[in-house]
Amino acid sequence: MEQFETFIVESPDATGARTTRSLIQDTVSDLSLSRVIVRMKVFVDPVEPVFILAALLRLGSPSIKIKDFAKVDMGSLGKDEVKIELDKEMFAIKLLNKLWATYGKNNIEQPDRKIIIVKTDPIKDLDMLRELVIEEPQQEVLDRLIDAIALRIIPEGFRVRKHELSNTHVLFVASEDTLKPEWLAKGKEIMDSLRREENA
Amino acid sequence: MLEPMMYIGGAYKHSQLIELVEDLGGYILQKNIMQSEVVLLMLVPINDLAIVEIKSKELLGKLTRAPLTGSEIATVAPTLAYHHLPHLDCDVAEFLRKQGAKTNMVGLARGVGKRICQLTAFERDLINEHDVAVFILGNYEHCIIEKSKKLYEGIEIPIVVTGAPELRTEDVPNATAYVGSFGRILHHMRHAEELRTLDKLSAVIGKVLDDVRIEIAKDPPSVAPPRIKKEIEEQIPEIVDNLHPLPITLQMGGVRVKLPYEEYHEQIENIKFVEGVTMKEVARVLPSKMRNFILIKAIPKSETGFMI
Repeated sequence: MEQFETFIVESPDATGARTTRSLIQDTVSDLSLSRVIVRMKVFVDPVEPVFILAALLRLGSPSIKIKDFAKVDMGSLGKDEVKIELDKEMFAIKLLNKLWATYGKNNIEQPDRKIIIVKTDPIKDLDMLRELVIEEPQQEVLDRLIDAIALRIIPEGFRVRKHELSNTHVLFVASEDTLKPEWLAKGKEIMDSLRREENA
Repeated sequence: MLEPMMYIGGAYKHSQLIELVEDLGGYILQKNIMQSEVVLLMLVPINDLAIVEIKSKELLGKLTRAPLTGSEIATVAPTLAYHHLPHLDCDVAEFLRKQGAKTNMVGLARGVGKRICQLTAFERDLINEHDVAVFILGNYEHCIIEKSKKLYEGIEIPIVVTGAPELRTEDVPNATAYVGSFGRILHHMRHAEELRTLDKLSAVIGKVLDDVRIEIAKDPPSVAPPRIKKEIEEQIPEIVDNLHPLPITLQMGGVRVKLPYEEYHEQIENIKFVEGVTMKEVARVLPSKMRNFILIKAIPKSETGFMI
């Protein structure tokens, strides 16, 4: 597994910290998240009990819309249709699936490999089709990240949780009891220390 | 007294060994043929062990003691979530199965947390139907100790606990034995070190079961559980068509029969032994908590006054 730039698991219980570290490594490689997480710090105190996980993220490319890889125009004169001319065939399958789901198979024609005709009112739908999102790599990665942290890494009994999630960071504070303000402050502090390391 | 043994050897002429064990009054519990190799799990009378050893040497097979044979073990996880499955829990269950035990996996409904963990009455009764319960717990010493204080309430069978820290058994409240180096492991246990840990677990469970055997030998059951199994197989033909894994599961003090209780309990109670007694005189036929199966508990000699 590719190692993060910082990966620290802190706990008063040394054995517990070691096993937690290995379980995080297993989860991250299972869900292929090692390229997404840049730095990670975890703090666990089973006596309190509290679990804090902070990580800095580097997400992949932003979402891909039809206009990014195709020309969307009016179809032939006098007909209610939109013509999509593909530049790259890479997303053709995903695009077709999406169009089939919205308009139905009988309203989609593909006379040529790179041309797709959608039978719909061009005035109404043209702009919407240009902006239609075909792939969301970032959202997909975030979904996997949440799956890893919330469903696999945080101990199951820690049902009271507070989290922050953005495109650049994720912070989870979890406990079995009501969250104390000092734990949230500690989470913030860990997050800040990660940011300082990143900027240094 | 019967000794639980495992024989691994070639399939060629292995039937001679089966016949020998049966002639000596032992029982064949399981026979697995894998290509040209055969694995036999059997109970051999302790006094005739030498004869069986000579025969197995003659057949160039290996005879080892398998203390887990003929026992039913519950492997209990706090829940059936990703935190515990498929790795670790299944690894432990499968490993014990390979050693000759029948394992059932139990996932608790509210077993999580050190303060909020609970065991429902149904779960408690279900676990109590087994010979040993293996509780597979997590990484932190404090949590294991706190949890052990209340999670095992009402469990009367021996409790083996696993977890990451190396603790002494005395430090874990209510546990019969504790095995370390486990913890929450999210990968398949296949490295040499991990396999040694699993070996250690099976040795500890073997020791616990041996203690149970010694305890049972002080007041032996009126009828040996393998005998119950044999009689059911011979007298209730429906068991042959039963598709459950191990339709008659052997336990230390009885058997579990995977047939519906309502339909079959009378038929089983009236099974006749050649000694002239019926099943209900030497064993209690009870409804099991597991589906609608039947649980048979042999009555000890001190109650009936005889042994067959």
